[in-house]
Amino acid sequence: MLPDDMPCNPRNDYPSQVFNNKNHKLNLYGEKVEVDYRGYEVNLENFLRLLKGRHQLNTPRSKRLLTDEGSHILLFMSGHGFDGGFKFQDKEDLSSDIFADAVNEMKEKKRFKELLIMVDTCQAATLFTNLTSPGVLAIGSSVQGESSYSHHFDYDLGVAVIDRFTFYTLAFFERINLYDNDSLSSLFHSYNPRLLDSTPYYRKDLYQRKLEEVPVTDFFGSVMKTIHTDSAYKKFGRAITKMSLDESRILRNSCAADEDQSSREEYFEDGFGQLWSTIVRKVNTSFENLEELHYYALFCMLLLVAIIVDAVMQPR
Amino acid sequence: MALTPTTILTLSLLLLLPILSSAKVVEDEQFSEELLLKPLPDRKILTHFHFQTEAPISDHSFARHHHLFPKSIAQLVKKFHIKAMELSFTQGRWNYERWGGFDPISSQNAKPPGVELWAVFDVPPHQVDAYWKNLTHSLSGLFCASINFLESSSSYSAPKWASQSALGSLRYGTLPREAVCTENLTPWLKLLPCRDKAGLSALMDRPSIYRSFYHSQRLHLTISTDPADGLDSGIILEQTLTVVLQPNFQRAGISYPDEIKFQPSWSLSSIFGRKINGRCVLAKSSNVYLQVERGLVTQLENLEKNTVAYDSNDTGTEGLRRNLGFELSITPDRVHRELEKSSSILYEYSIKGYNDTEQFDLGLTWKHPVVWSSPHAPLYASRFLMGSGNERGSIAISLKSTDLTKGFIAANNVEEKYEKPHAVTDFVEKMSVSPSEDKVSPGMMELVLRFPCEIKSAVLNIEFDKGFLHIDEYPPDANQGFDIPSAIISFPDFHAGLQFPNNSISNSPMVSKLQEKSPVLSYTEVLLVPLTTPDFSMPYNVITITCTVFALYFGSLLNVLRRRVGEEERLLKNKDANKAAFLRRILDKLRGRSSESTQPQQPSTLSSSSSFITPKLFLKVLLVAGIAVIWQYYLK
Repeated sequence: MLPDDMPCNPRNDYPSQVFNNKNHKLNLYGEKVEVDYRGYEVNLENFLRLLKGRHQLNTPRSKRLLTDEGSHILLFMSGHGFDGGFKFQDKEDLSSDIFADAVNEMKEKKRFKELLIMVDTCQAATLFTNLTSPGVLAIGSSVQGESSYSHHFDYDLGVAVIDRFTFYTLAFFERINLYDNDSLSSLFHSYNPRLLDSTPYYRKDLYQRKLEEVPVTDFFGSVMKTIHTDSAYKKFGRAITKMSLDESRILRNSCAADEDQSSREEYFEDGFGQLWSTIVRKVNTSFENLEELHYYALFCMLLLVAIIVDAVMQPR
Repeated sequence: MALTPTTILTLSLLLLLPILSSAKVVEDEQFSEELLLKPLPDRKILTHFHFQTEAPISDHSFARHHHLFPKSIAQLVKKFHIKAMELSFTQGRWNYERWGGFDPISSQNAKPPGVELWAVFDVPPHQVDAYWKNLTHSLSGLFCASINFLESSSSYSAPKWASQSALGSLRYGTLPREAVCTENLTPWLKLLPCRDKAGLSALMDRPSIYRSFYHSQRLHLTISTDPADGLDSGIILEQTLTVVLQPNFQRAGISYPDEIKFQPSWSLSSIFGRKINGRCVLAKSSNVYLQVERGLVTQLENLEKNTVAYDSNDTGTEGLRRNLGFELSITPDRVHRELEKSSSILYEYSIKGYNDTEQFDLGLTWKHPVVWSSPHAPLYASRFLMGSGNERGSIAISLKSTDLTKGFIAANNVEEKYEKPHAVTDFVEKMSVSPSEDKVSPGMMELVLRFPCEIKSAVLNIEFDKGFLHIDEYPPDANQGFDIPSAIISFPDFHAGLQFPNNSISNSPMVSKLQEKSPVLSYTEVLLVPLTTPDFSMPYNVITITCTVFALYFGSLLNVLRRRVGEEERLLKNKDANKAAFLRRILDKLRGRSSESTQPQQPSTLSSSSSFITPKLFLKVLLVAGIAVIWQYYLK
């Protein structure tokens, strides 16, 4: 959902590009981008319809959620927030009880198994207060009474390019390796309130699983590396798959070893010892996980409802 | 004519869309890719990508998988019984004065800004609207745009005279404000068999395209009919992308004034930042064309004559690669000349022989400053708003004859069909007005005008009243104003089409499209009408005022209902009595008498209190004395 046409706005000096940083190295608006809802279509009604699945008959598939009770959904919202709500198009409000009702209805209709809500607005935590459905994990960039700030200003473009919370989330994902088994807990602990200038708040009382055991790829899509083989699958398929898995094991191990030397103590100090050992254990043992991860990744790609309301980040 | 903002006024001056179902037998699925490059007079360059996919149609063909033809489009055609359809996404405005208005490219590919969609359905007339609505939803899902806003009956229209064959089954709608960006190109490219991985489409560098002055991405669907039995024989999907770019003009010696007259030299890699790495292997033909238009050819010939006069050494036999005006970096495979004298030239390059190691990068270097102009449409139309205030206004359409018209009319004695104000009705041949109905239908006006040849200019003035909307109907940014879509002006007696000798031209879909005799079309500007917008805090004000009024009303009502006057008076009297008693008691105290007489029920307490007064007073006096003594002692 994109309410504004930022990439092709005449005021954007870099047409069809959106950057996360003023160094303009990473174009977030790639060549394969597709948008399902844009412009005036991004409104409260469509958002709630999308969540609840109450569409008009002729709504195309790309505008539906198409999830079931086994789905993992990531809901990322960025924009203007206030105490107990979120703003749509500077006209409508999503209040925390309407939001909680919608999530409840989703749960009743078996539209998700697990739902991760990430909200990057001012007073983001106040949007979660009324949630009651099990299986919901929510993280917000700021608590009640706090503003969320933008990260830095791009003098070339004349706007602040990214929010702090989004910036550090993106930085986390840019940092991790393809074969890392980072958990949600490590993502949540990667936020530094001092750098964010606000206190990230996460609500996990509705979530059953331990955060240390949930890989981030349960919710975030991952790009799997394709290994080209010269021969067809039938004959050598088995051996080659195994080999590729071995390769990845080596990669993971080497990566683990590197980190082992450099930052093990740090991790222990931070109380990550348990997490670290689980990661190491997972790395060493479960390789069927790879396909599972791919499966999850596909699911997550099914829905990435990213609402980027505005690149201009004043305190909201 | 009342103009309410939801009902968008489609002012069409004889809307005549080129809905020609081509009579052609499609036997096999085939795909072809072509690119046309054309230098424009104002130092810009036109690049026109043309992809055509054909698939035969038969009862069982839909069940099977297509090899080249996109399945989603085939399903769309089958589900909605589409006979012909065109969808275009455009940003920027085609400059009819500078870029020409009398050639096939401008009349077929110059589109109004935003989204334009028309479709002809093969269903009974009463079902057409339902099919149209479903089609808009499907297309919006397919092309990542909010085309579904064309669903509401006040945003599309059914033009009458657009096409005689499609009477009643044609629907037309535009969204002038729709943004066009990468997300629209992605699904469009997905319809191509090679996507943008190989072939000409690999040239499409997104930043270059979206930085351009004008870009229009078009998708045209036609069902071709078999000339033998008149049955549908196949689907032809034509995808074009027209981009007007400014080549980077970088030369060392910009200082001398003559330089400014030079057209900028360019190459494919300088305008797109990429080169062609070879063809899409699935394509039947992959060609690049360079068109040198009529005006430029004339100029070049003049130049040549002049030079020949100076220098008798004639080197013109080398062909047109090395003519006097410009130089091409690659020798064309074939050169096509139009039949008439001093007509446009088409250089053809086949990119079959190119690959990753040997890339195709056509470049053009100008050697002499050349100034020419593009052919204009018979009349140049512009539309503007008049009037002030928020009550009423008017739309004016001015039509000016161009130089070309005079020449044409003098030579051919062709009368133009056109439109005209109500002052002189002699020029109006036919007129159809469907005034807008609030929330039901848009206002539309179709006129067929016939002007005498000597006409210089004409102005059409249409007055309208501005309406009010319901508060829910305003968009979030209502203060920006409301757009009125472009008017379409068509010249049915004028045909834009290049005429190449039949034997010389290869069987290329794009060139045959250029040769097609299509009526000259042009679009006017999109207008932005400011409307009265309410104060959107009104509801809150209303709520506050209503609540106050209600509070006052119910408060006083309750007061009146519950108030008992007799009781109140009694209470009041009591109070007075109490006050009087209290005063009397104080007076009694001052006199040192007990108030036994007034309060007979508590005699003991009162009497005891009176007896206590003296020791208390005594204590107080002692205390004050003590304080005074301490004061005296410690502060001296």
